[in-house]
Amino acid sequence: MDKNKIRFGLKGKFIVGLAIIVTLVTAAAISIGAYTYWNSITEQYNTTAYQTAKAAAGYFTEEEMRQYSDLVTRFNHGEASQDEIDKITQSDRYKEIWDLINKLRISMDANDIYVNVFDMDILKNFDEGKYEAKEWNPVYYIMDSYYDEKLQFQMGQSGAIKKEYREDTLKAMESGKHMDRIIVTNGDFGYNLTASYPVVYNGETVAAVAIEIPMSTLETDIRKFINRVLIVSGLAMLILLIIGIIYIIRYLVRPIEIVVSEAEKFVDKNTEISEKLSKIKTRDEIQVLSRSILQMEIDINEYIENIKNVTAEKERIGAELNVATQIQADMMPSIFPAFPGRPEFDIYASMKPAKEVGGDFYDFFLIDDDHLAMVMADVSGKGVPAALFMVIAKTLIKNRALMGEYSPSKILSAVNDQLCEGNKSELFVTVWLAILEISTGKGKAANAGHEHPVIKRRDGEYQLVEYRHSPAVATMEGIKFREHDFELAPGDSLFVYTDGVPEATNKDNALFGTDRMLKALNENQGLSNEKLLESIKKAVDDFVGKAPQFDDLTMLGFTYYGKEGNK
Amino acid sequence: MNISKHNEGSTLTMEISGRLDTTTAPELEKEIGASCEGTEKLILDLKKLEYVSSAGLRVFLSTHKKMSKQGSMVIRNANPDIMEIFDVTGFSDILNLE
Repeated sequence: MDKNKIRFGLKGKFIVGLAIIVTLVTAAAISIGAYTYWNSITEQYNTTAYQTAKAAAGYFTEEEMRQYSDLVTRFNHGEASQDEIDKITQSDRYKEIWDLINKLRISMDANDIYVNVFDMDILKNFDEGKYEAKEWNPVYYIMDSYYDEKLQFQMGQSGAIKKEYREDTLKAMESGKHMDRIIVTNGDFGYNLTASYPVVYNGETVAAVAIEIPMSTLETDIRKFINRVLIVSGLAMLILLIIGIIYIIRYLVRPIEIVVSEAEKFVDKNTEISEKLSKIKTRDEIQVLSRSILQMEIDINEYIENIKNVTAEKERIGAELNVATQIQADMMPSIFPAFPGRPEFDIYASMKPAKEVGGDFYDFFLIDDDHLAMVMADVSGKGVPAALFMVIAKTLIKNRALMGEYSPSKILSAVNDQLCEGNKSELFVTVWLAILEISTGKGKAANAGHEHPVIKRRDGEYQLVEYRHSPAVATMEGIKFREHDFELAPGDSLFVYTDGVPEATNKDNALFGTDRMLKALNENQGLSNEKLLESIKKAVDDFVGKAPQFDDLTMLGFTYYGKEGNK
Repeated sequence: MNISKHNEGSTLTMEISGRLDTTTAPELEKEIGASCEGTEKLILDLKKLEYVSSAGLRVFLSTHKKMSKQGSMVIRNANPDIMEIFDVTGFSDILNLE
């Protein structure tokens, strides 16, 4: 029972499972939300940045832009002097444009707006070594309005771009269209968005206006967003979790718990059925399950009741059969020595039925002082029908003989006709019947389909007496039975038996057979009939081993001593 | 025990093989009871029958009686062992053996 103890019940499993699912869903919702939010905000910033850059580019005339661009390029190639730069930077027009751009930067809350030209040769030929040494500088500044004046680039100065933006920049400058990529960098004060707008005249990129906008608010916004989503979705999920758990407990866990406890109760205290199972009304599989278990419990109770009755009936029949066995055993002479006052012969017989009652029987009795009748018979079939038939057959034979009939043939004919009357069950009985005149040792015997008798002459061996038999008794009305004379000399012995002896079968389905029987008889010569029969029975038992006794085992031993008795 | 049957008009031949004893005899009795309706001649072929007990003999006897009323029953090809059983039990006097 302990093995089946529930360690981690359905309730716990469902709660933990649901909680995990809810947590995952919330996390996914937050991630997707934050990602979308971030994208749309940066998109917006990016658009604003490009518009601003475009506006800034409009402060220059084409002529001015071309002039400045050309100058810084030549200056960096060593083809123009510092004087030429100074002349421009000190011109009123340059200062005017710078003011405009600076104002625009301030009004846009941007960190920086600057105008530059890219040296395309350098941009195209990236050199890692020079990049690391800060000698790879494709950017030539035309004007810079960085919010920290000390860090502003002066006209003609050169600078670098991050190598990861090089290809996009190159593409933008060559095509004249700004890059699709949004450049966001993490600066000292939070995220910055940088946009570089190519200034194009007649399809030719002359310069670029770049703008860097801080996105300091973005991080806080996103955090706020996440918090909001966390609270809202967390709450929603919590409510969903509670509803889900309540639902599952009510419609799944609770009914199953009832079914389980009812089933356990039934197992523990058998036969007790409670109403709880029939009250489960979930209208689903669990209801079906509970009804099935209920029906099963009812059925089991019925079966138990049935088995009780059947067992009681069986016990009753068993008891009756015991009585029947006793009656049957009592019907056959079983007190030995059977004739203490008759020294002329010794007789012993035994029967062991395979079932409670059997169809075999033996009998011996004195018809008068000088005539002894001996019967060995076997009713076809076994059990109660055979036993009932045996009772009739035995009684009829004995009665007929006791009427003073000395002819076995006539006795059997009479018994045959009586047994055939209304013998619907078609049972028949094989009979060996011998009537011996005790004073002379002469006798008559009839064999109605029975096993061959065994005879042992005084100094001889046990051997079968084979001759053609008459049909068994009760086979056909009106049949005649052959009889023959025999004579026993003092010291001669007879042994008769039923087919249970030669047909005793061992576990290999081998028959004991008459050869083994004769051998056993001859090995035990000289014993009293009682001991002889015990020896034969032992020989049969040893042969059969553990195989079940299949047929009745019946034997009769007789020794004739003559008038003088056993001396 | 195994039983195989074939029918030719009102003649029914049944081949019985194996052991005919207390356990198998009721089976044969049932089979014969079920298939003998309208049969005038019943032939029991015992070529492959190895053993017959008294319960089996009972079935032969009851079938013999039953068939005597509506026709006849013949037993064929009994091997020497079975034949000896018939002789010893006196059944050879009653049954039609061929």
